[in-house]
Amino acid sequence: MQYEENIRLAIRGLIDHKFRSFLTMLGIIFGVASVITMLSIGEGAKRAAIAKYQDLGVNNIIIREKKLSDDELEEVRAKFSQGLSIQDATVIKEIVPGVLRIASQAEISTEVKYTDKSAKSTIIGITPEYVEMLNFKTAKGDFITKDHYNRNLKVCVLGAGVAANLFRNEDPIGKMVKVEDQWLEVVGVLKSKTLFTETVGELAARDLNTDIYVPLSTFLKRFTHENILASEIQQITVQVDNSNRLVETSQLINAILLRHHFNNIDYNIVIPYELLKQEEKEKEIYNFLLGAIAAISLLVGGIGIMNIMLATVMERTREIGIRRAIGARKSDIMSQFVTEAVAISITGGIIGVILGVSLSLTVSLFTDVSTYIRLYSIFIAFGFSVLVGICFGYLPAKNAANLKPVDSIRYE
Amino acid sequence: MLIEIKSLFKSYDMGDVVVPVLFDINLQIRKNEYLAIMGPSGSGKSTLMNILGCLDTPTEGQYFLNKTDVSSLDDNALSAMRNKEIGFIFQNFNLLPRLNALQNVELPLVYAGVKNAERRERALMALERVGLSDRILHKSSEMSGGQRQRVAIARALVSKPGILLADEPTGALDSKTGEEIMRLFDELNKDGNTIILITHEQEIANYAHRTIFIKDGLIHSDNLNQKKILNFN
Repeated sequence: MQYEENIRLAIRGLIDHKFRSFLTMLGIIFGVASVITMLSIGEGAKRAAIAKYQDLGVNNIIIREKKLSDDELEEVRAKFSQGLSIQDATVIKEIVPGVLRIASQAEISTEVKYTDKSAKSTIIGITPEYVEMLNFKTAKGDFITKDHYNRNLKVCVLGAGVAANLFRNEDPIGKMVKVEDQWLEVVGVLKSKTLFTETVGELAARDLNTDIYVPLSTFLKRFTHENILASEIQQITVQVDNSNRLVETSQLINAILLRHHFNNIDYNIVIPYELLKQEEKEKEIYNFLLGAIAAISLLVGGIGIMNIMLATVMERTREIGIRRAIGARKSDIMSQFVTEAVAISITGGIIGVILGVSLSLTVSLFTDVSTYIRLYSIFIAFGFSVLVGICFGYLPAKNAANLKPVDSIRYE
Repeated sequence: MLIEIKSLFKSYDMGDVVVPVLFDINLQIRKNEYLAIMGPSGSGKSTLMNILGCLDTPTEGQYFLNKTDVSSLDDNALSAMRNKEIGFIFQNFNLLPRLNALQNVELPLVYAGVKNAERRERALMALERVGLSDRILHKSSEMSGGQRQRVAIARALVSKPGILLADEPTGALDSKTGEEIMRLFDELNKDGNTIILITHEQEIANYAHRTIFIKDGLIHSDNLNQKKILNFN
């Protein structure tokens, strides 16, 4: 029950000297708040990065045609390379081990019209495997099916952005849109996707919600590239069974393509997963720095507490002498003062947590930086504040306990 | 025999010099005695009081309190002794300013591990004994000197100690209040308490039944106060 007394006394001490206590805990408050804010910024960045790469498929290797000028294209064609072709895809599927699925896609940029409205869009011809390989969820209707593909049907699936632009409040399903001189029936609308605002490797930044998907077979029949020299398809997406095999597999694919394209490197191979890992690695140094700053501020906070406690002990020498004369043991005095130190650091910790959480929320509300607060970070920061109180309260408490009662009682 | 001091010597080690303070003190005190230790400053009476109160240990010799050899106790055991067997009363009261009267009186019991309810009851009883039942929630800054000393006496009484050790208890009080306090001590002695008074004033020492005169670290005389004993009963 001495603990009760100690706690009561410690809290009373805090309240009696509000301003001084507050100054003392500033270091802890700042340290805890910064730990939480920085952890949440780090976590937010991590999640944003993962979400970005999720859409491209974690186990995927993306082969993309290189953007070449007309002159460069002529040169490459002269050297016998036809660019990416469906045949490339077929061979890769057959030869390369560990390939689960492969999807080819062809693209053109053009306008799509509905009644009096029109929107800029990228028309993408795809194979049915596409939907299994990438996270395409329809908000309405269905995605392109094998049936659509096999029968070359003139159907399309709209990206969320295009659908919103052209149809406002109407239901797009079943309506006809015009692309170039072709009429296509809308069979589905996609859910909105993470805006792809940065470049990933060599994949240029695009807004995926302005895409329209049609069966590749329909595409090849009905649409032609503006440029005669353009290759048959623009992208091959390869899904590998094991993320550990990604680099190995990509090297094999590169060998095959080099041979097919007669040593013309008119394509890029992008492994989103590897890029993600690299980004995380780069972030590590950043996180470490932030952590160091937070640790230092906690340390400073602890030193502040120790300082004040040392002065407090001196101030209360007589009180300590009286307590000892009445029968307090050294350990009683120690626990009294450690409790006081911990009371200060815990209170600072609580305020720091509140401040840290508010800061994180403010940052994510008012800036582009995303934050994500995980419960464990609050516990860690709080736990550290308690630890700091105990560690930095120890020395002053020991000093207090070792005072000789005979002398301290007469201290003025 | 409550207290037995045998061939006690005390000296302080100040680095290069060793300062002797008490020489070959022999003393016996029975239960319920009321004795005064008198002497000029520097006589060693404060040192003797510190040793009696278990705040310090002898350099040589033995101090038996209730048959226990205090000179061989470690710090924790000494603290326990002070808690249970010694009731200190100081010249400047030495109350804790941030606690009220009740909390001050309860403090020895807190360190003894006594539970809340019992603690409170015993503290209230002690405060009643010294006549302060109506001031229990006041802090010392809200009380007069006489009242503060009474709180200090209540605190000394609360653990039912073997001895009450009073160091110049009226030193900071006016003569009228001082008289009141000395009369209180008389009552406490009648109640059965053993009281040891440290003073340099003859008038105060006259309240005790026995006076020990100490000078230059030696006991010069140890006499009964006939007048007081006759008038007492």
